[in-house]
Amino acid sequence: MGELFRRLNYLLHRRDRDRELEAEMLLHREMMGSDHKRDFGNITRLREDAREAWGWTWIERLIQDLSYAARILRRSPGFALTAVLVLSLGIGVNITAFTLFNMVALEPLPVRDPASLIMLQRRSPTRIGGEMPYTHIDFYRQHSHTLSAVMAIMGVPPVTLETDIQPAHLSFASANYFSELGTHPALGRLFDPVLDDNSSAPPIAVLSYRFWQQRLNADPAVVGRVLHLNGKSVTVAGVLPDAFASLGADRAELWVPILQQPYLIEGSKLLSDPEADAVRMWARLAPGTKAKAAEQELLSLTNQLRLLDPKNVWENEFLLSFPAGHLQVMQPDMYQVVAMISVLTLLILAVTCANLGGLLLARGVTREHEIGIRVAIGASRQRILRQLLTESLLLASLGSLVGLVLSIAVMRVTLTFTDAPAWLSATPDWRVFGFSFVIAVLAAVFFGFAPALQIARQKHRKPIARQVLIAAQVTASCVLLIVAGLLVRAMHHTLYTSPGFGYQSVLSIDPQLAQHGYTPTAARAYLAQMESRLRERPGVLSVALVKLPPMGHSVARIGTEIQGKHVNIFPNSVEPAYFQTMNIPFLLGRTFHFGEQHVTIVSESLANRIWHGADPIGKPVPSDEPSSTPRDIVVGVVGNARVNALSDSDATEQYWPAQNDDMPQMSIVLKAVGTASAMYPAIKSISQSLDLRVFPEIRPLESLFQENVANVERIAAAVSLVGLIAVLLAGVGIVGLVAYTASQRAKEIAIRLALGATRRQVLRAILSQFAWPVALGLLAGVAIAATASSALRSTLYGISNLDPASYASATLLLLLIVMIATVLPARRSLRLDIAKALHHDQ
Amino acid sequence: MPTLSMPSGALILLILRVLRSGSLHGYAVAQRIHVLSSETLQVEEGVLYPTLQKMLLKGWVTAEWGVSETNRKVRFYSLTTAGRKQLQAQQADFDRVTEAIQTILRTA
Repeated sequence: MGELFRRLNYLLHRRDRDRELEAEMLLHREMMGSDHKRDFGNITRLREDAREAWGWTWIERLIQDLSYAARILRRSPGFALTAVLVLSLGIGVNITAFTLFNMVALEPLPVRDPASLIMLQRRSPTRIGGEMPYTHIDFYRQHSHTLSAVMAIMGVPPVTLETDIQPAHLSFASANYFSELGTHPALGRLFDPVLDDNSSAPPIAVLSYRFWQQRLNADPAVVGRVLHLNGKSVTVAGVLPDAFASLGADRAELWVPILQQPYLIEGSKLLSDPEADAVRMWARLAPGTKAKAAEQELLSLTNQLRLLDPKNVWENEFLLSFPAGHLQVMQPDMYQVVAMISVLTLLILAVTCANLGGLLLARGVTREHEIGIRVAIGASRQRILRQLLTESLLLASLGSLVGLVLSIAVMRVTLTFTDAPAWLSATPDWRVFGFSFVIAVLAAVFFGFAPALQIARQKHRKPIARQVLIAAQVTASCVLLIVAGLLVRAMHHTLYTSPGFGYQSVLSIDPQLAQHGYTPTAARAYLAQMESRLRERPGVLSVALVKLPPMGHSVARIGTEIQGKHVNIFPNSVEPAYFQTMNIPFLLGRTFHFGEQHVTIVSESLANRIWHGADPIGKPVPSDEPSSTPRDIVVGVVGNARVNALSDSDATEQYWPAQNDDMPQMSIVLKAVGTASAMYPAIKSISQSLDLRVFPEIRPLESLFQENVANVERIAAAVSLVGLIAVLLAGVGIVGLVAYTASQRAKEIAIRLALGATRRQVLRAILSQFAWPVALGLLAGVAIAATASSALRSTLYGISNLDPASYASATLLLLLIVMIATVLPARRSLRLDIAKALHHDQ
Repeated sequence: MPTLSMPSGALILLILRVLRSGSLHGYAVAQRIHVLSSETLQVEEGVLYPTLQKMLLKGWVTAEWGVSETNRKVRFYSLTTAGRKQLQAQQADFDRVTEAIQTILRTA
C-alpha cells in the first residue's frame, strides 16, 4: 500500500521530482569530473532511465503520443473528418445493434428483483408448449417450495368496450401479479393478492396508463367507474403507471384478475379444463434457489401430477425455465437471429476498417519524410509503431463517440415513432458505454495495426497488405449486398406475386364459441345460422368455415419425416367452400363433399414431396400409424397457400373436412365485393341477434397481409441502406488504394510508356495485382452469404436463400463498382507527364 | 585490475550496507563502494540513480536535501526501518548463498 501511495505521489509531483533528479545528477557529474575523466553519457537519457523506476513513463508517453496525434490530425482536417465520419458510420451501426440487443435481452426490467423471475415452458422430447392448463399451474403453485410465487397470465382476443368499434386488448393475470412485480398504482389500487384471489370477489379491472389517457380521456374520476367489456360490467380499481414493465412485453390495455375469466367470458371452462392449454406460467425463485433446482422439483411435481391426471400430462414431460427479467425472454432460436445480425454489423465494421486501413496506408507515403526524421533522431521502431497506433486509437475513439451520438439519436427517433413501452429509454447504460469502448479499440487494431507495422518498418512497397485489404472489403460488401438482395427480392415477391390465396375483401370472423362453452351441436347450429344470414347479405360472394383462419392467432404445425426428409405440414380443417372463398385453385381432383370422412386434400408442394409429380388422386397418404386405422384418401390437389406461414417457403399444407367435433373452434371466412369493412355493422348485428354473450373478432385479411409486408419492407429497406453504405465505403476505399498504387508506380508507368507500351498494356499491368484479391473476395463473400443466410431461410417469403438472381445481381453490381473504382484512378494516372515523371527523383 | 560493474540485485545490498552507518549523498555512495572494494567495483551512474529511485519507492531509504562537506546543496539518502530489515534479510540470504557456493567450490 505504501509503495502505491509513494508511486502516486511521484506521479503528482513528477515535475519537482524530475528537477531534483536533474540537480542531483548534474552535481554527481561535477564531482566526478574532478576525480575522473570518464564520460558520463547522455544525461537526459540517464534521467529517463532513472525515472523509469517510478513506473509512470507509459503515461507520459501516452500523453506525448496523444498530443502529437492530435496535432497531426489537426494539421490534416480533411483526412481526420473523413476518417471520423466513416468510422462513426461503421461503429454507429454496431452500437445501435448492441443497444437494441441490450434493451431487449440484457437490461433488467424495472421491477422488483428481476433476476429471480423465470418463465416456464412445457416440454417433452417431441413437444413444446408455451401455454399450459390453469389446473396444472394451480397444482405447481400449491406444492412448489423452490418457487416463492407463481404467476399466471392469459391473453385473450380483443374484447368490445361499451359499443365502440375499436376493440380493447385485455389480459387476465393472477391476483399476485402486480404485488410480485412491485408495481405501484398511478391512481387507485392494483390487484389485491388476497382479496382478488377469489372468484366471488367483485369484478375489477386495472387500466394501462395509455388506455386511461387515450380511450378514457384521462378521466380523473375513473376509479370506481363501471366499464362494460363484452357486455359485462367491471369496476375500474386503478390505473397502472406509465412506466409499467410487464412480463413478456404483454401490452394489455386492461387487466382483470384471472379468476374473473369465467365471469367475463361467459360459459368458458378454460380455468377448470385440464385439456385447455391457455395460460402462461411465470414464477419467482425462492431466495437462494437456482433455476436448475426449481426445474428438478417441478419435474417431480409433474410426475405426481401424472398420477392424478394421466391423460393430460405428456410422456416425459418436464418444465423448462427461462430467465424472464428482461424485455424479451430469449429462446435458443432467437440467438440465431442475433448471431446473424452480429455477423452483418461486424461485416460493416470490417468494410469500414479495411477502408480506413487503405487510407492510412496511402497516408504513410506522405508521412515517410516525417517518420524518417524521427527515426534519424533516435526513435525506435517500437516507439513509432506505438505513436501510429495511438493515432489510430484517437481516431477510433472520436469515431466511436460520434457513432454513440448517432446511435442515441436513432434510438430516440425509433422509440418515439414506434409504440414502445414508456419505461424504455434511449440513454445508454454502462454496457453500451463499455461496448462502445471495446469496439473502438477493436476497430483501432483492425484498421491501424497492419498499416502501422508497414509504415514503422518503412517498407510499404509490398502490395500484399493492399491486396488483403481489397479482398476483405470485397468479401464483406459482397455478403452485405447478397443479404440485402435476398431481402429485397423477398419483399418484391410478397408484394408482386400472389401468396397463393386471395386476401382482398376477405374477412375472418372468429366467434370463439369454445371459449363460451358451446357444445359441438350448439356450435354447428350457431355457425350454420351465421353463414346463411351472411350469404343473404348483398355484396357477399362466398362464406366458409375454417378451423385455423389465415394469419390467425394460433398456428398448428406438424413436423414429419417424408422419405427421410423433414417436412413441415400446416394442417387445417375446412368446409368445402373454403377453397373458393380463399381463391385457392384446384390443380387436380375436387373439393370435399359435406359430411365426408377419411379424405384429404393436399397442397401442390406436399403432393410433390410425397408422390414426386405422379397423380396422387385416390391414393392414401402414407402414415406411421398402424395399418388398421383407415387411411385418408387424397381427393384433390390445390395450389400452395401458406396462409399461416407467409414467409416460410418450405411449408406445405394438408386439409381435412371439418368434423362435428371441430365446430366450437371454427371461424368463418367471408369474401365480399368491394371494401370488406363495410360488412362490420351487419356482422355485429347478426351476432347480437344470435347470442348476446358472443362478440366475434373480425379481422380484415388485406390489412393483416399488408402489415406483414410492411414489416418486411422496413427490414429490407434498413438492410439495403446499410448494404449500400458499405458498398459505397468499399468503392471509395478501393479508389484510394488504386490511386495510391498508381502514384507509387508512376516512374515505372512512365518508363513503360516511354518505351512504347500501349496504355492498355500498362493499365493491365497496374490492375493485374488487384484481380485475384477481388476474385477471392467475391468467392469468400458468396460462400459466407450462402452459409449465413440459412438462418434467414424461413423469413424469406418464398425465396430460396440460395436464390441465384440475388447472388448474381449482387456480385455483378459489386464487380461493376469495383471495376469503376479501379479503372478510373488508374486511367487518370496514365495521363502523366512522362518527362517529368522520369526526372522526378524517386 | 579493471573495475567491475555491478548486478543490480547486489547493488541494492551494497547501498543498504554503506548507508547503515549514516546518510550519504549519491556520489558518496558510489565513492564509498568504489573505495571499500579496493577500487574493484565501479558503480555506473546510469545504474545508481534508477536503483536509488527504486529503493525510494520501496520505502527502504528516504532522501533529504542538505549541505555537503564542500558546502554544496546535495540530496542525502538514509536507511528507514524497513530498509534495515531488508538489509538483514538480504544479507542473510547472501551469506547462505555464498556459503553454499564456497562449499561446492571447495569440495566438488
